[in-house]
Amino acid sequence: MRRLKRNRVGHLISKGSERVSEMTENNHVAVAEAPQSNQEQTEPIVRYRKVSKSFGDNQVLKEVDFDLYPGERVAVIGPSGSGKTTMARLLMTLEKPTSGTIEVDGRQLWHKEVKGKLVPADEKHLHEVRGDIGMVFQHFHLFPHMNILKNVSVAPIKVLGLSKEEAEERAKTMLDKVGMSDKLEAYPANLSGGQQQRVAIARALVMRPKVMLFDEPTSALDPELVGEVLDVIKEIAAEGEMAMMLITHEMSFARDVADRIVFFDEGRIIEQGRPEQIFTAPKTDRLQEFLKRFELNGSSS
Amino acid sequence: MWSWDFTFKILPQLLDTLWITISATIAAFAVAMIGGLILAFARRSTFRLLSWVTYAFIEFIRTTPPLVQLYVIFYVLPRYGLSLSPFTAGVIGLGIHYSTYLSEVYRAGIDSVPRGQWEAATALNFSPLQKWKTIILPQAIRPVVPVMGNYLIVMLKETPMLSAITLVELLGRAQIIGSNTFRYLEPITLVGLFFLVLSYSASRLVIRLEKRMNINHHGKMDAAA
Repeated sequence: MRRLKRNRVGHLISKGSERVSEMTENNHVAVAEAPQSNQEQTEPIVRYRKVSKSFGDNQVLKEVDFDLYPGERVAVIGPSGSGKTTMARLLMTLEKPTSGTIEVDGRQLWHKEVKGKLVPADEKHLHEVRGDIGMVFQHFHLFPHMNILKNVSVAPIKVLGLSKEEAEERAKTMLDKVGMSDKLEAYPANLSGGQQQRVAIARALVMRPKVMLFDEPTSALDPELVGEVLDVIKEIAAEGEMAMMLITHEMSFARDVADRIVFFDEGRIIEQGRPEQIFTAPKTDRLQEFLKRFELNGSSS
Repeated sequence: MWSWDFTFKILPQLLDTLWITISATIAAFAVAMIGGLILAFARRSTFRLLSWVTYAFIEFIRTTPPLVQLYVIFYVLPRYGLSLSPFTAGVIGLGIHYSTYLSEVYRAGIDSVPRGQWEAATALNFSPLQKWKTIILPQAIRPVVPVMGNYLIVMLKETPMLSAITLVELLGRAQIIGSNTFRYLEPITLVGLFFLVLSYSASRLVIRLEKRMNINHHGKMDAAA
């Protein structure tokens, strides 16, 4: 099943990237469109359509189309300010799109269908759809007034309505998975950044989302703590249960973990494809330039 | 000059009113705490009219003397059919006056909670009410506990004002004793001492509360949750 899915995604991507190369040859701005999925059996779990977002005069996303498939792991790379974080924040409902639609598992996220018309969603609707999404933040955002066990078990109790025993059982399993089961009574302030981020991952996982967003999960960490967090994410990715969107500057990590790499620049998807292709044979000038910068910095392959 | 005989004679009378001072303070503080929270929420409302009216109310109450407000509640409202006992009128008057100050304290506390906490709560799909109850308010109140404690002590010391609306509390009783016996030294001194003891115990209480919360917050020990 897993194999099959990856082949399909790969097939879609190669189609997408052919378009890119054609366009570059014609000296047009190379904009890769998201792979078309109409004829596929598996529907995307997340579907962005013509999504734009502006902050004042600054347009950070420009009519982006993007699909994420169940179980697919997509790494989103690109310079800072390219709009990749905004992509995740729109899906997590932390920002509202200026225009366009986002579908999650066949349901509109920011809109409600009333008599065949799309109207802006209210909090109740957002609450229903948002449950499929989980997010890990750059700065962890653990709850400082709760110990670790409480940090991970509070949402299952309050949001999912589990009993305290059940929620704590689940929380302990997750904390065990991220290697934090010996710190149940500790408070976030007493943990290292890497430990805090691992707890934050457990806190998101315990809600069993269908889609997990990682927004630069290691960017705020001291270099020696990056590895432990990436290892945890790799382990989760290997289980292949959830769709994952990894926004990252760790190129070798992206290459190892992702089924597909999406390169963002100036609010658009410039190029996307399988990791081998993106890192060894980038097609657009902008991606080549971007990757070169990473080699110079020595922070990647 | 100082008569111990007289002191011991009036002590029971003053102790009788001590309870009134304490209960008026606690009740008025409770009104101020709850009222302040309501005002803070109304002020933050996205419904512009509500937010603006709340702002105007807060400014109005803060810029007029509490004594005038007490007179209005106790002497003017009965004309419009609302008669309150001196105690109730005092508690409401003092409580509302200080609720405007406490609303600002809450506001500062709420503003001090980092944006990331809201976002993490949203990402975990907390409902707005759960977000406030479980994540935001516990963090917002913690840093402002000392300021709230100060207001408790300020309010305690403002209770003699209630004698203006015929509530016989500590100072009121001392004045009555004074005018009946022409001796003011002992009753007034005793009242001063009572307030000293009350204020001091209140501030010790606040410090203890603060310490307990800090220990819990930073997790330096396994304090009771």
